[in-house]
Amino acid sequence: MAGIKAKAKLKNGVVKVKLLIKNPSMTPNMALKKTGSKDNADFITHLSATLNGEIVADFSTSQFLSKNPIFKFEFKGIGAKKDKIELVAMNNHGKTYKGKAKIK
Amino acid sequence: MERRKFLSMTLGALALAVVPASVRAADFRKSNPAVWTTKNVMNGTKVTEEGVMSAIKALYGSNSLTMEGVKLKAPDVASNGGAIPVDFSTQKDVKSIAVFQNANPEAAVLVIDVNKYSVNKYSIKIKMASSGTITIVAQGNGGKLYAAQKTLDVALGGCEG
Repeated sequence: MAGIKAKAKLKNGVVKVKLLIKNPSMTPNMALKKTGSKDNADFITHLSATLNGEIVADFSTSQFLSKNPIFKFEFKGIGAKKDKIELVAMNNHGKTYKGKAKIK
Repeated sequence: MERRKFLSMTLGALALAVVPASVRAADFRKSNPAVWTTKNVMNGTKVTEEGVMSAIKALYGSNSLTMEGVKLKAPDVASNGGAIPVDFSTQKDVKSIAVFQNANPEAAVLVIDVNKYSVNKYSIKIKMASSGTITIVAQGNGGKLYAAQKTLDVALGGCEG
């Protein structure tokens, strides 16, 4: 099951999140070379993180992220230890990737 | 009694099902599709800034950049173009931050919708097909565009065009 691996840590009031999305991040041109059709391109187009119903991070992305893209971001003013951050990403075919991170 | 119970349960379930659909973030791919298809312009084999500049214009409506307020860290020489670490941060009051490069067929890499909780400090990994320049643009609340650029050598292209 494709998904998102994530870790979150609270330190000095700032929550640091590190996450990895399992995705080949294949550009249309790479797909054309490898499989003969640009339609086989597979990359993340959107990633968002929510905590207690509030959005804490929102990325719109293109095919030029690395394979299995890694993101690090930080936020503050919300979130306590043991809270869960929900991560949802979507690829160019509308497939969703989900993951959770418990703040430590 | 049973029926009553059933009814209240159904109502409860319904109430749960319509929990706030309020939080729906901005999707820049939908709201601004032109940004993502803006091609980089090659001058022979040399990459130029044109594509990046027109992508910035497509996103923010202007491309007059102020080269301050944004910190950008990337290696001088990337041995693997398939995964180049890019760190960037800003202390300015910004609405959104975007990442561009001029080595791949299209210019845009990432647009971040900044929210009130954001500490604007990010690390990502990107692909670059050849040596080129990474441009980070942060849109200030006043509409001013803060930017930082870094040119780096890519030893092995990671994007295969």
